[in-house]
Amino acid sequence: MNNYSVMINRQRKWMLYLLAISVIGWGFTDYQVIFQSLIIGIVAGFFNLFLLQKKIDIMGEKAANNQTAKSFGTLSRFAAAALVVVIILRYPEQFHIIAAVVGLMTPYLVIMIDFIFSSKKTTSTKRGE
Amino acid sequence: MTGAVAAAIAVGLAALGAGVGNGLIVSRTVEGISRQPELRGALQTTMFIGVALVEAVPIIAVVIAFMVM
Repeated sequence: MNNYSVMINRQRKWMLYLLAISVIGWGFTDYQVIFQSLIIGIVAGFFNLFLLQKKIDIMGEKAANNQTAKSFGTLSRFAAAALVVVIILRYPEQFHIIAAVVGLMTPYLVIMIDFIFSSKKTTSTKRGE
Repeated sequence: MTGAVAAAIAVGLAALGAGVGNGLIVSRTVEGISRQPELRGALQTTMFIGVALVEAVPIIAVVIAFMVM
């Protein structure tokens, strides 16, 4: 298993942890509107993350075999974000827009924090260790 | 009507920037992978982080565009 597979599995694991925390908050606290907005945002963000990881893997495989990849999935990711915003603007009593946008941006935070920790771990070891 | 034009300009300019940025990242990565296929994992990791950082901005632009529309 190469380091890309390890990285994407780690990111998916953290996204599922955050989704589980949001579901627990939705079930056991009084801030149900905030947490259900977070859940819908994290689900869409997780879909975006999953699609990006899959498309990049496909593109790397095609490039290694001297083939061409057709699309990169950018439009699908934009459409997922637009769908979340449309749902939230359609039902403003049930959802909170800021919480949903925070949930939508969660995968990027996970990617950045994961990259910082993994690069620190790889650069702190000396050459040859 | 004005809100729709503002949303179209916001999404269009953000998608333009993302397209240029993604194109630069992906072209260099594909070139590197095709030259040295054994470095595929490391190059894919770098490309993934770059593409994710580039695409965060147009997604926020889509959100803001739908809010002002």
